[in-house]
Amino acid sequence: MTEARPPAPRPPRTRAPGYTRTVLIVLAKDARTELRSKQTLATMLLFGLVLTFVYAFGFVSDPATNKKVMPGAMWGALLFAGTLGVGRTFAREAEDGAFGALVLSPAERSAILLAKIAVNVALSALVMVVVVPLLAVMLRVDLTDCAGLIALQLLLGAIGFAAVGTPLAVMAVSARFAEVLLPIVVFPMVTPVLIAGVKGASVALGTAIETDPWPWLQFTAAYGLVFGAGGLFLFERMVTE
Amino acid sequence: MRLLFPAATALGAVAIGVAHYLAFVHVPMESTMGAVQRIFYFHVPSAWLFYLGALLCFGASLGYLINRKARWDAFAHASAETGLVFGLIVVVTGPLWARPVWGVWWNWEPRLTTMSLVLLMFAAYWVVRAFGGPGQGVRRFAAVLAVFAGPSIYFVRVAVNRWGGVHPPAETASRSDDVIKLTMYTCFFLLLFVFGLLLRIRYRAHRDALTVRAVRRRLARLGGI
Repeated sequence: MTEARPPAPRPPRTRAPGYTRTVLIVLAKDARTELRSKQTLATMLLFGLVLTFVYAFGFVSDPATNKKVMPGAMWGALLFAGTLGVGRTFAREAEDGAFGALVLSPAERSAILLAKIAVNVALSALVMVVVVPLLAVMLRVDLTDCAGLIALQLLLGAIGFAAVGTPLAVMAVSARFAEVLLPIVVFPMVTPVLIAGVKGASVALGTAIETDPWPWLQFTAAYGLVFGAGGLFLFERMVTE
Repeated sequence: MRLLFPAATALGAVAIGVAHYLAFVHVPMESTMGAVQRIFYFHVPSAWLFYLGALLCFGASLGYLINRKARWDAFAHASAETGLVFGLIVVVTGPLWARPVWGVWWNWEPRLTTMSLVLLMFAAYWVVRAFGGPGQGVRRFAAVLAVFAGPSIYFVRVAVNRWGGVHPPAETASRSDDVIKLTMYTCFFLLLFVFGLLLRIRYRAHRDALTVRAVRRRLARLGGI
């Protein structure tokens, strides 16, 4: 009576998952770890809340002035909290020494970057969902009429910011003082997003001379598109070995 | 041949002297602005040279990302540094001119805003190079930074122009007469020569640093055996 042999192990899969699947896998992995630890989201949110107080104490004034200050406060919060998130993009991988494994895996590298950009956009969006209404309450600005427009502006801005910030954050990992260097490096580059966002928001709030918010929206979208596409295209060249 | 570079350096010193002579003695007084206008002969060429440095840095960084030759990176580093020197001249001379003519040290004039943001980008590049460490990863980081700065300069220009729409663009070149223009271009070429010298010095320094690192590595390996 021969003992039943255990089934032969399946040969390892050699083919990499498709592009979209890779994006989804990395995205799901990050979403899962983030939902379990809540590290990045919690710190970003708390930082966002602290910022609302900073802005409120710094700028709160009569209703007309508050309305003019609101765009800058929102976009400042997006940039500062966003930097926190972007800087943590590959922090978990770096801590566990998993970054090399991720890069060495047969997965398309730009797919990994795309997933990471999506994670950063999602984190920024979640923070802004909390911070913007809170700012509106504290500065007593009524956003109900233009909430959709402002949300769209912030979303496009978050995409542009993440499209620039994420690849740079990846590259910064190998530098000393990476966490200090990152904002120095990213902020001048995202000033176009900031200008377009603040201007667009003041158009939406009716405090600007212009009345048409679409040119600024298109501008922000173009920015995100150019840097997103450029980053994805160049990423293969950025991280070798 | 060994004397070529010292001779060129001496010539560079002469070039700086000639530029000063042209700007302060040769060229006639500009009628509306008076003596402060003379700062233009350094301010404007320096701005061009700053953008030239940025352009060279962009090109060499792109090349480095493609061919991975450390020389290209050394060249990008050197051109960013050299450009930055001229950028500093621009931001120092600019307010000196603006205060008497505009009545303010600073104005959100589109060209000014664009220039200062680009300068910030390359200052960040310089900080990364100076304090980020010498490794290959940092070199790549800096290269990506310079490459990203290219399109972002375009976006900055567009955004700043739209943002500062109320200010008219500074029309300095159009109303200046021929001798002023000619002096401006002459000063540009004189300063371009100085730019080239500085670029060469920095490029050689970075290449020498690469050589030293390579020799050290080899020595360490030999010592290990």
